[in-house]
Amino acid sequence: MDNAMIRADGLGMQFNLGVEKGFSLKQGFVDLFDPKKRAEKNRRADFWALRDVSFSVSRGEVVGLVGANGAGKSTLLKLVAGVLKPTEGSLLVRGSICPMIELGAGIDMELTARENIYLNAAVMGYSERFIHSKFDEIVAFSELEAFLDVPVRNFSSGMVARLAFSVATVVEPEILIVDEILSVGDLAFQAKSEEKMLQMIGGGTTVLYVSHSTASIRSLCSRVIWLDHGRVLAIGSADEICSRYESSALPCLDPGAAS
Amino acid sequence: MLFVRNLLYSLRRYRFLLRQLVLRDFKVKYKRSVLGIAWSLLYPLLTMAVLALVFSNVFRFSTPGVSYIAYLLIGLTWFNYFSEASNLCMSTIVANFPLINKVYVPKYIFPLSKCLFVGINFLLTLIPLYLVILLTGTGLCWQHVLLPYCFLCLFLFTLGMGFFLAAVSVFLRDMFYIYGIVLSLWMYLTPVMYDIDIIMHPLLRFLMSLNPLYQLIRFARTVILSHATPSAAQFAACAAPALLAMLVGTLVFKKNQDRFVYYM
Repeated sequence: MDNAMIRADGLGMQFNLGVEKGFSLKQGFVDLFDPKKRAEKNRRADFWALRDVSFSVSRGEVVGLVGANGAGKSTLLKLVAGVLKPTEGSLLVRGSICPMIELGAGIDMELTARENIYLNAAVMGYSERFIHSKFDEIVAFSELEAFLDVPVRNFSSGMVARLAFSVATVVEPEILIVDEILSVGDLAFQAKSEEKMLQMIGGGTTVLYVSHSTASIRSLCSRVIWLDHGRVLAIGSADEICSRYESSALPCLDPGAAS
Repeated sequence: MLFVRNLLYSLRRYRFLLRQLVLRDFKVKYKRSVLGIAWSLLYPLLTMAVLALVFSNVFRFSTPGVSYIAYLLIGLTWFNYFSEASNLCMSTIVANFPLINKVYVPKYIFPLSKCLFVGINFLLTLIPLYLVILLTGTGLCWQHVLLPYCFLCLFLFTLGMGFFLAAVSVFLRDMFYIYGIVLSLWMYLTPVMYDIDIIMHPLLRFLMSLNPLYQLIRFARTVILSHATPSAAQFAACAAPALLAMLVGTLVFKKNQDRFVYYM
């Protein structure tokens, strides 16, 4: 047995952009008389967000994902988080996951901060006992003690973000999925949340980390996967891949290309 | 077997979420009202009072030998549970798309939470219903202990329908309109306000008796109004549609749930 926490094998994710728009009676009727056009449309509508993606992440490894917009980074994170099911290939994910992709998925504006802490934690799959024991820690981190029984609809967006961040980061997950380092709230809380994220990433957990900042990838990741148009272009050490990615993405800044 | 084991595992893991969702519905429903949670008791009480007033004085169908008010209210309570819960279930997946698209949660938990939420309301409406039973002189009998069986069948039938509707409405948004019409037709075809014996045509009457909701209501009426033990056929007529709805609903839901996210 190897110690791979995430193992993807020939992973493919297909979106049917045509179907997504929904079937309408009118369009169905029009297409009925033009089968050629319909077939063509269907073919064009098939879009592979990811294709033939294979990699593995071992325990404790911090792996970065780089690539242009639309390269499939977020799709890959969603697959690992279990939100999407792959169209083809296999994906093995071992251990508890903390998806720091979009925070506050379970925030209900009508409920108070206290109620939302419980609801949000439940959405993330934590047990009641766990949240009871961590409740004070969450409140302390969010610095919202004075507003615990205020409905969240009266919060500023920064306060909502602080609440969501504090609930999400209270766990010590085995796999951490991060889409850009989240720094939320005001200046003081931004520093605090960024520090917390860095501490979580550096704390020995397995991390899958997406960022457009090659500087932060270089400093945090040991290995980097470069995605391009849904395919793995290269996997290698952070320095090597980041340099190649920078020079391909920003050819004019590359000293080699300028000479 | 594996399916059942996974289901039990996820139910255990997410039972806290289930409870939170049901609780949330309660909190949000009465959040900004002065009387708050008291409405969950007061509202059915007052609706029943209105109905009793209207139907005992203005419209009146004959139900020989039994109190018409009790007859009517049993039918309405049962039917309302089904129509409200199934209607709420239908929109759960579409309404929770933002959540489903961000974190993994077992999707069946949303229809289930709605059926439980309306189920608690249903149990609360039993209080005014029993008041009516006592006030109209209908009286109690030991057969009332059989009613939880009827509730369970009603719950399972509604849940099965809820799964089916929630899944189908993701792909076919027209369902929201279609089902509204279906429900009102269903309401009038179910002998809630009238007795099935006023239908003269024997074939029509037979077809109407195939209605699962009618069978569930009839079971309750047999117990509450006639103080009788329902026949074995009546027991079966409650369980069969419940199990069938659960089977079909679960299959349709399970088969399609991975595709939900593409249709947001």
